[in-house]
Amino acid sequence: MNNPILECNGIAAGYVKGLNILQGVDLVVSEGEIVSIIGPNGAGKSTLLKAIMGLINISAGRFFIEGLEKTNLPTHKIVNEGVGYVPQVQNVFPSLTIEENLEMGSWSLGKNAKQSINELYQEFPLLEERRKEKAGNLSGGQRQILALARALVTSPKLLLLDEPSAGLSPLAIDDVFKTIKNINLKGVSILLVEQNAKRALKFSNRGYVLDQGRNAYQGTGTDLLDDPRVVDLYLGKL
Amino acid sequence: MIDQLGNGLLLGIIISVASVALSLLYSVTRIVNFAHGEIIALGAIMTLFFSNPVDSRVIYLDRFSPLGLDFVISAFLAVILCGVFGGLLELILFRPLRKAEVGNIAILVVTIGLSIFIRHLYLIFATGRVQNFPLELERRVTYLFFDMTPRNFRVLIAGIIVMVLIGLLLTFTRIGKAMRAVRDSGELASISGINSDNIILITWISSSMLAGLAGIFQGVINDIRYNMGFLILLLVFAGTVLGGIGTSFGAMVGGLLIGIFVQVSVAFPFMEGHIEAKNAVALGLMIVILLFRPQGIFGQKERIS
Repeated sequence: MNNPILECNGIAAGYVKGLNILQGVDLVVSEGEIVSIIGPNGAGKSTLLKAIMGLINISAGRFFIEGLEKTNLPTHKIVNEGVGYVPQVQNVFPSLTIEENLEMGSWSLGKNAKQSINELYQEFPLLEERRKEKAGNLSGGQRQILALARALVTSPKLLLLDEPSAGLSPLAIDDVFKTIKNINLKGVSILLVEQNAKRALKFSNRGYVLDQGRNAYQGTGTDLLDDPRVVDLYLGKL
Repeated sequence: MIDQLGNGLLLGIIISVASVALSLLYSVTRIVNFAHGEIIALGAIMTLFFSNPVDSRVIYLDRFSPLGLDFVISAFLAVILCGVFGGLLELILFRPLRKAEVGNIAILVVTIGLSIFIRHLYLIFATGRVQNFPLELERRVTYLFFDMTPRNFRVLIAGIIVMVLIGLLLTFTRIGKAMRAVRDSGELASISGINSDNIILITWISSSMLAGLAGIFQGVINDIRYNMGFLILLLVFAGTVLGGIGTSFGAMVGGLLIGIFVQVSVAFPFMEGHIEAKNAVALGLMIVILLFRPQGIFGQKERIS
């Protein structure tokens, strides 16, 4: 097995003090992997990503990035640890232009930002074409691509994606998943939260099933897809 | 009516600078700052404190601190002090409130209390008297078709330059872009590696410096009173709303328009003998404009998806 990039041990966290949504989650993402987290609504899938990003307080447990503990680091510092995050909603700055969105994404790079943005444009020609346009005028699918690009400017080692397919048309979903696959092929590990469990598991190396803030099952994507317990509980009849 | 246009522009530039400051603070922090008027007054009172000659003793503070500095230096110092004051407000008061997740309405009430508190401090220390900066009286000169004193004309030009600078700063600098990013979403800004707390602190400082400058303008053009900021605050809010809440360019134009409305309305025939009611015409016009353009003149309807 490759080196672990992210390692969570017994993470407990919640939005309100004394009311934890996550009640001890263990999870590992290794170099070059695509790992997906599935589970019913309210299982704490998105909450886990927010906890890693320092957006909510972790009250128990720890997590490590490349072996170093980073529990409860302020959000703006976790970016420097090589973690990119694309939230489900509000994942672009609507009143800023596309170029300004990418400049904000590359905030921590300082003077090297220009070059990273130019490299990114080579991968996403659409963004370069429309770089002076406001992000708020983009369609849902284009927005999602910009959101991915914004998180990629800093060349993260690990990308956390919160329901990248939510609210998109089938065509746009294909496009987004293709983009994610390409990002992964360039060596970026991916931790993916998805409602569309079937699609996510097919797409991933491994998957975790969360239920009520705890790990329920885990395994390779295809194993989970075939596991009758998972099918019954969370996927519905296939 | 043309006579009043010059006065309108002068009032407009005061409101305009103050509106840009208010709008900037609101858009980045979502705080509706009723204490904004007191920061405006602080600019004027501090300038008076620094520039007043020793013997006039119009300000209580002069008894133990007679400075009598050059007016421009005093104004400069006062603007810096306003920035420090705004920064301290954020650090001591508003940041802890934000971290404790106090709601927007509660924070609004805090700013109202703060406004009353500071205003009465001024009443104690700066007295209730109407005062003026120690500047020589000047004769009015005609510029194009406006009549105003050369000093007021310089204030007008300075105000326009400051606002152009603010516009450039917000559009092209790294900090300006970050302010707009935090305005859109503080959380997303943090995720992008921006320290939102720092950006909010910088916003407080720059907004307070601008407010102080507006107060100095008001002191030069009109006079200095302990409640001068409070008196103009309603017009500043009107300017901000008229231009479109949260847009700096809108606040500039909205502020200028409100100032011009107020002064030009003095020349309307039905206003003869009712000059005290001049604000009513301006605010009435504001309501009418908002009925037809609810998002303000330059406000934008957001695409929601």
